[in-house]
Amino acid sequence: MHPAQAPRDPDSVRIVFQAMASPCEIVLSKDPSVDLQSAARQAIAEVQRIETRYSRYRSDSVVARINAAAGGAAVHCDDETWSLLEFAQALYQSSDGLFDISSGVLRTVWDFKAAQVPSAAALQAVRPLVGWPLVERHNNTVRLPQAGMQIDFGGFGKEYAADRAGAVLEKNGLRHGYVNLGGDIRVIGPRPDGRPWTFGIQDPRDPAKLVASIPLRSGGLATSGDYVRYFEADGKRYCHVLHPHTAMPVTYWRSVSVMAPFAVVAGNCATIAMLKEENGLEFLKKTGMGFLAVNPTGEVFTSTQPPMQ
Amino acid sequence: MKQKTKSARHRSQGIAPSAPLGLGMVLAALALPLGNLAQAQAQPEYAQIGFKYLGYQDSQPGQERIKVTAPAFSLMTPVGRQWSVAGNVVVDSISGASPAYHTQALTPMVDERRAIDIALTRYFEEGTISLGGYFSQEADYVSRGITLGGTYSTEDKNTTWNAGLNLSHDSINPSNRITADETKDTQEISLGVTQVLTQRDIMQAIAGFSHGVGYYSDPYKIFDKRPGQRDHSTFLLRWNHHIDATGGTSRLSYRYYKDSFDILAHTLTAEYVQPLPDGWTLTPQMRLYSQSAARFYVDFNPDWAPFPANPPPGAQHYSEDQRLSAYGARSVGIKVAKQLGEGWQVDLKYDSYTQKAEYKFGGGGSPYLDPLTMVTYQVGVSKRF
Repeated sequence: MHPAQAPRDPDSVRIVFQAMASPCEIVLSKDPSVDLQSAARQAIAEVQRIETRYSRYRSDSVVARINAAAGGAAVHCDDETWSLLEFAQALYQSSDGLFDISSGVLRTVWDFKAAQVPSAAALQAVRPLVGWPLVERHNNTVRLPQAGMQIDFGGFGKEYAADRAGAVLEKNGLRHGYVNLGGDIRVIGPRPDGRPWTFGIQDPRDPAKLVASIPLRSGGLATSGDYVRYFEADGKRYCHVLHPHTAMPVTYWRSVSVMAPFAVVAGNCATIAMLKEENGLEFLKKTGMGFLAVNPTGEVFTSTQPPMQ
Repeated sequence: MKQKTKSARHRSQGIAPSAPLGLGMVLAALALPLGNLAQAQAQPEYAQIGFKYLGYQDSQPGQERIKVTAPAFSLMTPVGRQWSVAGNVVVDSISGASPAYHTQALTPMVDERRAIDIALTRYFEEGTISLGGYFSQEADYVSRGITLGGTYSTEDKNTTWNAGLNLSHDSINPSNRITADETKDTQEISLGVTQVLTQRDIMQAIAGFSHGVGYYSDPYKIFDKRPGQRDHSTFLLRWNHHIDATGGTSRLSYRYYKDSFDILAHTLTAEYVQPLPDGWTLTPQMRLYSQSAARFYVDFNPDWAPFPANPPPGAQHYSEDQRLSAYGARSVGIKVAKQLGEGWQVDLKYDSYTQKAEYKFGGGGSPYLDPLTMVTYQVGVSKRF
């Protein structure tokens, strides 16, 4: 999830910050005609704005308002929230119902800190609360029909923030650099001499090792894996990617990295591949995106076409 | 943005079946506001109209005093991408009786107040500027004023500065013809800062200064002659804290007030907003208030009863108005709000207030005054578009 950074480069500046519970960085090639610090500050402010607006943990966030009204009245949403909900709909459709932004409620029974497999009864109780098609949306209003239902944009919030922060940098006239929010990366453009930025993909079983280095000149890169948040019980690994239908953690891929024109698309393709388990490889090939996936035995699969460079 | 969403959906439905699956997702992502970085200052994204009905009854032991009913309409609407207009209209019907001195000699009264205000706000990337005006009219009192306000936020939006200016001009023509064509002119400025401290904490500090010249006496009271100038300073500190465990928010505030009549007042307010399932919100509220007496307040003197105590010989200013005495007050209230479908919200508010000399912080309340109790209820309904 946290690709190691390429060796430091004297021609660029790196601004490190913490957001969305992740270590983050903005790397920009030096450009005397642009105030890099100011541009980076604006990009960070945009990340913070999205975090504040869509955090599940703040009662004043849009998401908390929608969730608090579950089982009750429809909630009006602004255009940005509405477009995120429309995007969630598109993802649900292109993933055969696997990418479901109402599945976050499963975390109420899966406690990764306590490292305990929930009881069958607990899983049974929470499963009816998952179901994106039940969510009523029309005319910029959204309503969760059952009390206890929840939605969250955690599935693509960080990637969306990386894309938006990238757009802020571009608006400030920057063309060379990237935004990395805890491994969700948006490259705004290559180094000034045209060389790509290089991102290391961590070995999912050895944090000190890389399985690959991915060069990227533009677009997004995101990784989903079973090694970020997980626990083991009775010799079995339970990771944080939960299947919306079974309410159980997915089991197949150790990690999936995807390159796409936007970080949001890269992140969704990686997550959907994780959710598709054995069928994930077929899905990744169909997307036409560049990818790198590590299967349960540590074997690495990549797109046959070189990633879009 | 809405139109863009629709057109992108069209396009994604029109993809040839042989096209890579990822293309559909890219097109869906294009409908996200990834490139469009519109102004970040939150211009209202919807219009809202509201109706509130306020009822109010105050009483002292054995006697009801003033009763007020006040229906109010409000409207707020965005105009274009950068402007909004907000306005309120209220009609207060006041009836009952008001004491002529201290808590004695309740004198019947009836009045009606009509008030209207309007404000225009322009939204910028770093802040807002608003300009407003108001007008209110009673049979014996007309008030008009203009307000100018501005906010400025830092790039990270964690700090917002605000400043306000308020000028008013009032005309007073008491129905008992004790005086005529009196005026009161007030200038008020305020400066404040709102700071986001953590993800869960927001603090706000506001300092205000007001300077007023004109007729401050109460023409309906016996022995009431107040200075022709009143200046006051206020300082307000507020802290809102989000509690993860309950999903609720606590709001605590302290207000300091000092004026040139030598009234020093403290207000402590605590409320807690608890969102509940099905669109309900419950907000219990508590307030403690304490003030010292005005320098020229004349205490009730039982030796004079049943007549009002005479002001001290040679006194230039004097008043026997209970509102200028030393007292404290406690109030508890609750607000219940429920969101209904289609942008409708209804709320119900109830507040019970008791004012007593003994409630003054540190003792020393003005003696021999009857306590005052007040019950306020409000029903509101609003709709967003």
